[in-house]
Amino acid sequence: MNRQMTRTEESTLRPEPGILQDWLGRYRRFFLIGLPLAFLIIWTMVPILWAFLASLKNPLEIYESSTFFPRSPSLAAYQTVLAIDGFGKWIFNSVLVTAVATIVPLILSILAAYGFARYLFAFRHVLLLLYLIPRIIPRVSLIVPLNDLMTDLGLINTYWVLYLTYIASAVPLSTWILVGFFRAVPREIEESATIDGANMWNRLRHVILPIAWPGVVTAAVLCIREGWNEFAFVLALVTETGMRTLPYALYMLKDSMGVQNYAVYNAFTILTVLPLLIVYLLLERRVVESIVSGAVK
Amino acid sequence: MATSYVEYRELTKRFGSTQILHGINLQIEESEFVVLVGPSGCGKSTLLRMTAGLETINSGEISIADRVVNRVRAKDRGIAMVFQSYALYPHMTVADNLSFGLKMNKTPLERITKSIASAASILKLSQLLKRLPAQLSGGQRQRVAMGRALVREPEVFLFDEPLSNLDAKLRVGMRAEIKALHQRLKTTTIYVTHDQIEAMTMADRVVVMNDGRIEQVGAPLEIYDRPENLFVADFLGSPAMNLLSGKVVHNDGRMDFELENGIQLPLPDNSALRSDQQIIYGIRPEHVAFTDDDNGLPVNLTLVEPAGWETHLHADLSGISLRLLSVERVGARPGDSARLAVDTSKLHLFDPTTGRRI
Repeated sequence: MNRQMTRTEESTLRPEPGILQDWLGRYRRFFLIGLPLAFLIIWTMVPILWAFLASLKNPLEIYESSTFFPRSPSLAAYQTVLAIDGFGKWIFNSVLVTAVATIVPLILSILAAYGFARYLFAFRHVLLLLYLIPRIIPRVSLIVPLNDLMTDLGLINTYWVLYLTYIASAVPLSTWILVGFFRAVPREIEESATIDGANMWNRLRHVILPIAWPGVVTAAVLCIREGWNEFAFVLALVTETGMRTLPYALYMLKDSMGVQNYAVYNAFTILTVLPLLIVYLLLERRVVESIVSGAVK
Repeated sequence: MATSYVEYRELTKRFGSTQILHGINLQIEESEFVVLVGPSGCGKSTLLRMTAGLETINSGEISIADRVVNRVRAKDRGIAMVFQSYALYPHMTVADNLSFGLKMNKTPLERITKSIASAASILKLSQLLKRLPAQLSGGQRQRVAMGRALVREPEVFLFDEPLSNLDAKLRVGMRAEIKALHQRLKTTTIYVTHDQIEAMTMADRVVVMNDGRIEQVGAPLEIYDRPENLFVADFLGSPAMNLLSGKVVHNDGRMDFELENGIQLPLPDNSALRSDQQIIYGIRPEHVAFTDDDNGLPVNLTLVEPAGWETHLHADLSGISLRLLSVERVGARPGDSARLAVDTSKLHLFDPTTGRRI
């Protein structure tokens, strides 16, 4: 009864909206946020889902365009991949190179970013821009000079060639991310720590890093992604089978197998992507926090 | 006898080509509560930060407890500072915020626990020790910031506009708390503010600064009652002092002050002034009152602002605006005519060329 009265009162105060307007108003959130998000999720997930389902299919079934879901799912392709000679070594290589290409750039860029964010020195703006150069120059154009250089240094087919190139590629990215986060830490907090007796290391360790932690996690995730997915450098600078990383091994899989077994390709792809997805899922909350805080600050 | 505890000698500071401080000389005695007050950009915060060791010194000396500290690191100066934005460590609990400085200085755990308990008890923080700063109100955060300074047991407390982020009511409460804390601990305190009410109510001595220079130093009422120059006269007091330009004239053997519009105001009998001398005639709004005397100054009221405990009024004296302050309830309305009397014993006369008090 009351509700009825309220509605009547409201309708006398406001003009009656058209049915279409009312409907649009009610579903505005859905159209503005829900629909684009749903599209984005489908856009991102369908290839992975397709690859996963394909990896469970019989090799011949993949050529039948009418089937999306496997008729009789099988893990045979995964068994084939795991049985490939050298697969364990490639995983080890990928993990090792990615770990080094994450930890070392993070340490270097934390120090560099702190310097850029907090110290006034000549040409700091120009230097920070120069930091971007390795990211601006197309990677492919670096391959020949890098190959020559690493050959002269005798580093071809060693882990060092991957460490050096991956680190050099990751440092600018993580430095740029961290400079923004470090600058967002109020200077007064650090000054307060200075008066409290904290030297530069203690300020960085106990004050700056914990406050800018979402930024460090974001930089770490991007370094992991870069290191794990890197393809151009490993292709150009490594020739030995035992030194390959997973993306390179995946690329070479077609040649090594001799037959077009898409189930195996897709199983290999899923096994390559899976560790990265797990890392993303573990760190997702932190990354979202950092993106949001970065946007607000 | 009180000794000079903090001393500035010919202190200067430049940021690039901009001179911020021009040879500051000041002595602060032990246990004294000194307030540095002045408009934004006058150099008061820079002076405080130089005292804390957060800014370098271009020339001159700062000494704390008879020790020149120009090259002493902030942590070794025996100071503690409370910042305007509290500057609490957001990722640490209240207890960790309080103990951070002591941990950095490798204080034994037993003493840290004792110090925190003592500071928390003084500042009523005992129930909040496990909370993060984000879970505290503005006043509580300010108390944590003060607690963090307190546990260091400093020789000098430095406050940089600590109440600016609080609402008006809380500010009054915290003002009293800081003053009470000082009376209890008797620690030498340098307090920076742009709020003259804070300066007047809290300070043992007020240092009025402008454009990197000290304009006047003195007890709050001394400065209020006898400003040494036009800047101090204009800066201290709300509503501000009426400062009227005009000249001295002779009238039947006595001297009067003649405004540019020809209206004459009384001057004290014994003032040593020349005829035709240009002066600035200063009178505080509370020293101008309504009168029934027909010889009073004829004005039209232009604005009436009742503030409850007092009323601020604006009046037009033939084209010249006057500010009045009445502690009585005023029934007058804008547009009403009135007559005013000036208390000549409370006049402030200034030289318009030098700005100095005559």
